[in-house]
Amino acid sequence: MMVQKYTYTLNVIWSCMIRDIRSMLTDRAFTLVGILTPLNAFILMSLFVLAGTQAPTAVVMQDSGPYAQQFYQSLSATNGFKLQIVSASQATSLIQAGRIVAVITIPADFDQSIQHNAPVKVGVEINNLNTDFTNDIRRSVPNAITKFYANAFPDVVSIVPKEQDSYPQDTDYIKYLTVSILVVGMLFGGVMHAGTSMAREWETSTIKELLFSPASRWAIVVGKMLGAFVINIISAAIVLAILVFVIGVQPVHWGEVIAFSLLIILIFIAWGTFLGTLMKQRKQVVVFALGLSIPMFFLSGPFGPITFSAPLIQVIAQIFPVYYAIVLQQHAFHGFDLNTYGINLNVLIVSGYALLLIALAAFSLRRSAIAH
Amino acid sequence: MIGTKEAVLPLLSQTTTPALEIKDLRKTFGKFTAVDGLSLTIQQGEIFGLLGPNGSGKTTTINMISGLSKPTGGEIKVLGYDVRRDIRQIRQILGAVPQETALYEELSAWTNLNFHADLFGIPRKEKKERITNILKLVQLLDRKDSRVSTFSGGMKRRLALGRALLHEPLLVYLDEPTLGVDVQARRAIWDYVLNLREQGKTVLITTNYLEEAQTLCDRLAIIDHGKLVALDAPQNLKQLYGAQVVDLELVGSCEQVAQIRALPGVKDVVVTDVPDGCRLQVITEGVNHLVPQIINLASQEATLRDISVRDPNLDEVFLRLTGASLRD
Repeated sequence: MMVQKYTYTLNVIWSCMIRDIRSMLTDRAFTLVGILTPLNAFILMSLFVLAGTQAPTAVVMQDSGPYAQQFYQSLSATNGFKLQIVSASQATSLIQAGRIVAVITIPADFDQSIQHNAPVKVGVEINNLNTDFTNDIRRSVPNAITKFYANAFPDVVSIVPKEQDSYPQDTDYIKYLTVSILVVGMLFGGVMHAGTSMAREWETSTIKELLFSPASRWAIVVGKMLGAFVINIISAAIVLAILVFVIGVQPVHWGEVIAFSLLIILIFIAWGTFLGTLMKQRKQVVVFALGLSIPMFFLSGPFGPITFSAPLIQVIAQIFPVYYAIVLQQHAFHGFDLNTYGINLNVLIVSGYALLLIALAAFSLRRSAIAH
Repeated sequence: MIGTKEAVLPLLSQTTTPALEIKDLRKTFGKFTAVDGLSLTIQQGEIFGLLGPNGSGKTTTINMISGLSKPTGGEIKVLGYDVRRDIRQIRQILGAVPQETALYEELSAWTNLNFHADLFGIPRKEKKERITNILKLVQLLDRKDSRVSTFSGGMKRRLALGRALLHEPLLVYLDEPTLGVDVQARRAIWDYVLNLREQGKTVLITTNYLEEAQTLCDRLAIIDHGKLVALDAPQNLKQLYGAQVVDLELVGSCEQVAQIRALPGVKDVVVTDVPDGCRLQVITEGVNHLVPQIINLASQEATLRDISVRDPNLDEVFLRLTGASLRD
């Protein structure tokens, strides 16, 4: 009797999963959107981040002496500019056309003045319509001057940093950030796909077929979640491939990447299933998925550890599973420990969220009444 | 075993057990009372119609019978099973055809039935045969691999009916079974429903087509504002209204209405003005000699343009019991 009951439940789960996948496959546009949505989120957010990294700056080299060359190298080494050497007239037309943020002019007497220990005025013309870029220039020019003196006259600069690193390798800003974006892509794809799949049952009234049946609500929810899971694994695999092969992020722990990705997809699908059951309309789910993903992205420490943020932000971030998902993926990709809980506890927290959200989805399905 | 009726057979073997027993059923949503002390009993093998204007409480009642909504008070038993305790067993013996058909239109007819079979735990070895038989029954076997979205409204209704029968339910619930289908499809669906009674199944129908209720149902319950306002066989319900109705159209004065109304055996006279006279609907208790008397009185001060004698119809019963005002 017990075996038959379990066999029946497993059959319902399997059947719900297969039916959902079949429905998705027959609705090609919907499936394509489901697969491409996390990819789209990933690309959009990556572009947003990439667009703001370096200020386009023109350098007018009126002196080509060795010190002037060395100063140019120092400017390059700050990573605050995207430099191009142009003539004075070209620089003027570029800044007037709004195509560069600043013009840095290395004067004709640069080398001579340095050799005679005389003051040098490096011209800096800034198009200060954007504070962010303006501040980049204001920070980077003095930084370049310090670098120049540290390299050209090491005896003069007596204060030098004695650096001790927490990790054996530096991590590029983009490589750090894109891992966080991967998680947000999974969030968006999971919530949207599972949510719309569930809401669709109400929109088309097919929920009645499910609710009139003697099948357990748990089995129905799990079956539907597995259907969405399969589609989201495909999306995640594409995004992962771009992350590794295009952006060049090489995971430190491949096993963790796979295991954590599956776990993270699971919680976001459970979240979507719960929301779909609650909202019962695809349009609302899509709007909510968008509305949820963007604040979650900024709240959960995408640019650096959340411990660097204000205390209130830290408290809010830790309410949501996205934060723990980012902690896990940053560990898997870069070996970072972004909080003091340890990886096992972070896994437990995320698993707890998954169970809670599955339970909420099943419970809300049980409580669902059918409106006419 | 789940998916068969073995678990529910002990109670079903008692043929005297009512198919559905509702006692003092109540459902409130906040301050709004959707169902207010409803009691009725449906016997096994009956085709029972549940009628009522929109918002009368039909759907809420059905939702409570199928366990989709919890009663605020009262009792529902389906073939002896209490809806609060034994909802799994009830769902196993209940076959539902919702108004919207609830079919997965992007999938084929066969896939829809196959999914239903899995949800109801139909054994794998029986599944194929049962699906084939059902598709034959509803005359859709040749379209088994077609997407449901390509079906006409009537085909979808037939498929939904077939799906509800796939797990061999004992109580079949049909919500507006012929809504939006053509005359041929309606006749076909009626035939399937009448066949169900021959198979000993109990059928519960909600419909707004009173002709349908009259043709199919052994008994009808009319509910309004969540309360039972009438319950009887269609013929007996019509007697509530009157045994015969005499329709007259008069040219000229209609002052003789009061005299007609005063005749022994006349229950009521409904007067409708027309440009050159009036139209009278005389509801009688069925006394034969009344017709000449009515004609005699009516033609004293007016010219009789038209006259007909007929049985009352269910529309008239329904409107008398529930009122003519719009409910939507």
